[in-house]
Amino acid sequence: MTTVKPQNISQEANGATADRDRLRRETQERIRFLRRQLRMGMLGMVIFTALSAIAMLNARLLPPLSEKTRQFLGPSPPPTLISIALVVYVFSALTLILARMNREFGTYRGWSHLGYLTSFYVFYYYAGDLGESFWAVFVAGLTILGLENYRIWTSCSEALRDEEEILASLGD
Amino acid sequence: MTGRRGMFNNFAGRAIVPVAITMTGFVIVCSIILYNLIKKDLVNDTIYHEASLADTIIKATRYAMIKSDRETIDQIVVNIGQQEGVEFVRIFTCGGVIMISSDPAEQEVALGAGNAGCIGCHSGPEPENHLGPLEKARQFTNADGEKVIAITAPIYNEPACFNGACHYHSPSQKFLGILDIGLSQRTLENTLGTLRLQMIAFCLMILVLSVGGVSALLRVNVLSPIRSLMSYVGDVSRGQLDRTPPRGVEEVEYLSKAFLEMARDRSRCEEELEKYRPKDANMTS
Repeated sequence: MTTVKPQNISQEANGATADRDRLRRETQERIRFLRRQLRMGMLGMVIFTALSAIAMLNARLLPPLSEKTRQFLGPSPPPTLISIALVVYVFSALTLILARMNREFGTYRGWSHLGYLTSFYVFYYYAGDLGESFWAVFVAGLTILGLENYRIWTSCSEALRDEEEILASLGD
Repeated sequence: MTGRRGMFNNFAGRAIVPVAITMTGFVIVCSIILYNLIKKDLVNDTIYHEASLADTIIKATRYAMIKSDRETIDQIVVNIGQQEGVEFVRIFTCGGVIMISSDPAEQEVALGAGNAGCIGCHSGPEPENHLGPLEKARQFTNADGEKVIAITAPIYNEPACFNGACHYHSPSQKFLGILDIGLSQRTLENTLGTLRLQMIAFCLMILVLSVGGVSALLRVNVLSPIRSLMSYVGDVSRGQLDRTPPRGVEEVEYLSKAFLEMARDRSRCEEELEKYRPKDANMTS
């Protein structure tokens, strides 16, 4: 039969407190990460709206590119091809986001979509068709980023609730 | 926060929202692109039709031009200009002076090289000799607020012109003048307006069908069985062990049977405990 010394009891108590503190810190860190993901979703949407406003103003106010710039950059792809690329992109992006919904949790993937959507605005502007095709890109962006935000929101809010429960049980 | 969480935290919300966003967004994007393509095709068709009309006018006035019959040419141009949908018809010289027009007030008016009808060929340092029908066309809104598609067609010099007894054109002159014709886009705009409405109706129908279809399927196949399972579980946990388990969906049947067995086991255990309880009570007393 082993006897437990008071010194060991205090060491064990100190160890348990340290573990609890470490767990609390980790939980708080995870909560911060999840909240950051949620904020990123909203930020992505705001940036896309701002980019769309700029594209809309450019389509209406700015004159077409000068002949010299066009000669330097080369001929633009036909607007029909850009539209076909847009449809293919929207289809694949939505399919990937829906597939990602089946997984447990993922980080926010909206930044790459912001890049693609801005490229479509630029291509349409260069092809001189932004005025006609603005709404197609805008609705595509709202759909893709809206679905991505929904995915992040559902997964993050669930995980956030679990982490907050853990934090509460640790005695915040 | 709780309200929003509640709205999306049930089966219906979770299944309908992604489907509705995906279907509606994709259908709207495709509809806008399709509308733009159809619009371009219709505008191009109008331009080709207008180019053909310009050639017809040039051919119709050719004999009168060779005969230098100004009165007949005037009459043909005025008559065509009076047709519904034709905004203007005019013939001007390469120097930009309007010689004949459906609007008498325009006659003998000089147009600059920067005029919309001239800029197609005179945009560069050297005038273009040949332009395709699409390059020859221009779109603008006139003073009455009417959208107009106009096309310019060159009237080429030919042997019959410079060899005619009454004419003085030099054989080296390529063009004798330009025919400029403008057609109203009213019919085209009406067609596009109808197309827009049809596409909006189509998008709404897709939205209603997708959301309604998913909701109906969920209600029949998931929500109703889960509600009957919840009601059954509630009754069994209150002690109604003789209740018939819900039927129809395999998973729900399995869960209800498992729960019933668990409830029966618990009931048996409680009965056995009840048997021992009086003995214990006697022992303690």
